[in-house]
Amino acid sequence: MIEEPYRWVEAIANRGEYIETQLATGSPIAAVGYRDGILFLTLGRNRQKLFEIYDRIGLGAIGHPGDIERLRMAAIELASAEGFTRSAADVSLRRLAHYSLSPVLKTAFEQVYGAPYLARLLFAEIGAKQEADLFLRLEYDGAIATNQAGVAQARQDFGAISGTRQSTELMEAYLRAEHSAGSTFERALKVALDAWTVGHLALGDGGIKELPARDKMVAERKERLRAAGIEAAILERDGKIAIRYRALTEDEIHSALGD
Amino acid sequence: MDPVTLGSDQNFSGIGNDFPALLRRRGLLAPVPAQTAPVANPAWIPTQATTILAFKFQGGVLVAGDRRATSGNTVVYDRADKVLEIDRHSIMAIAGVPATAWEMARVLEHSFQFFRRTQLQEMSVDGKVRALSKLLRDNFGFVLQGVGVVVPIFATYDAGADPSARLYFYDAMGAQFEVTDYAATGSGSPAVRGILYYENTWGKKPLAKLNQEEAVTVALRALDTAAESDTATGGVDRNAKIFPVIKIVSRDGITTLPEKRIAALFKRSVA
Repeated sequence: MIEEPYRWVEAIANRGEYIETQLATGSPIAAVGYRDGILFLTLGRNRQKLFEIYDRIGLGAIGHPGDIERLRMAAIELASAEGFTRSAADVSLRRLAHYSLSPVLKTAFEQVYGAPYLARLLFAEIGAKQEADLFLRLEYDGAIATNQAGVAQARQDFGAISGTRQSTELMEAYLRAEHSAGSTFERALKVALDAWTVGHLALGDGGIKELPARDKMVAERKERLRAAGIEAAILERDGKIAIRYRALTEDEIHSALGD
Repeated sequence: MDPVTLGSDQNFSGIGNDFPALLRRRGLLAPVPAQTAPVANPAWIPTQATTILAFKFQGGVLVAGDRRATSGNTVVYDRADKVLEIDRHSIMAIAGVPATAWEMARVLEHSFQFFRRTQLQEMSVDGKVRALSKLLRDNFGFVLQGVGVVVPIFATYDAGADPSARLYFYDAMGAQFEVTDYAATGSGSPAVRGILYYENTWGKKPLAKLNQEEAVTVALRALDTAAESDTATGGVDRNAKIFPVIKIVSRDGITTLPEKRIAALFKRSVA
């Protein structure tokens, strides 16, 4: 089948479509940079979606739990081996993603007789200063998108992933409009929760195509929070501690939200 | 960072996820040496670090170590740090060959983190104690060859069902001994053990009842006494103002006593 180039292209396109369908129900994950760190937030029903990779690197993932697990484990093994042989300062998200994970994902995606990874990953790495924070989205085909300034975009202090492209783009549009880098933790938490709500409203065939009205968002958020708890984790900027990643407790989240 | 094949060595037992095993797979840690016959007169004398002590007191566990590293009759270094933080609640103090001991501490520190990150839960205190035991056992081939002997003390706080400070010492083969009151290892340890036994049995109050100031005083006096007869123990260097390293493990984590405070206590109740 794949001797003919056209068939190969067709097979890849089908496989992309298949993976997109599988990921389409994935609950959004927002990561926002604020004055004292980076906050990851999602709403979960039963499965943990936010993970510690290394001292300064966190991960939020949607997709098949088995595939997420393999990628997560590989990332931790690579970072730990590097941190052990050299130093924690030599562990870099940029190298981890570009040099190690992306090629593996691309290969798995394009070898049409093997199984691809059903996963979409959002990494963040805390910097010494806010300008050095890195948000990095890694797709199932190895594609990488970051928050860095480029030809088509200004530097952003956030990252987002969701089940569909439309939902991700709407979340990013919301964060571009509402999020400011110098936010306090409380403000960042509220904005991230709203970004999640926007992403959630945009999922599915009947999903919204434009940013929703304020009251619709509040109603939706209330409704969702009744059914599911908030999962959140932070990377702290405080240079005095080595391990910056910390999952937030329910108490911390609710007292910061003021309820 | 090397390119990877993902998940190639996953297995359900989780043994493949042991951090030392990962390092060996990648050639980053020496393989466990084959059992060899003891070497009678090794041609080369390794650097040694000596005399560490730990005991439980009111505020948790106090761990102290002198600063001297020697090689035979030679003082190699006078500011060695033998009291090493492994994680937020664990300290490993070392007597023996620093090259091996520091590497062990590094492996241990990364092992605990690796376990937490991959398994999504903290390793139990028993698991941590056992991990160090395993490293010592793996190292025993080198001990027989006359290089690389390490005799550590491990102090930690168990936040589990029965929250309490826990204290262990090891022998060179990896046997772990949990102690209720105090532990000391290294060449100066006979003198230190004598003093700690005396204080605990006939002193004004048992070690467990001492407050921080009294505990530090006992630790300084014990190390100073050890240095009096053992050349390999640095004790307190009065001229160069080099003081032992003293750390405290408690429920709140690890506190390193500032040198200024140790110096003040030394001046008041030891010198």
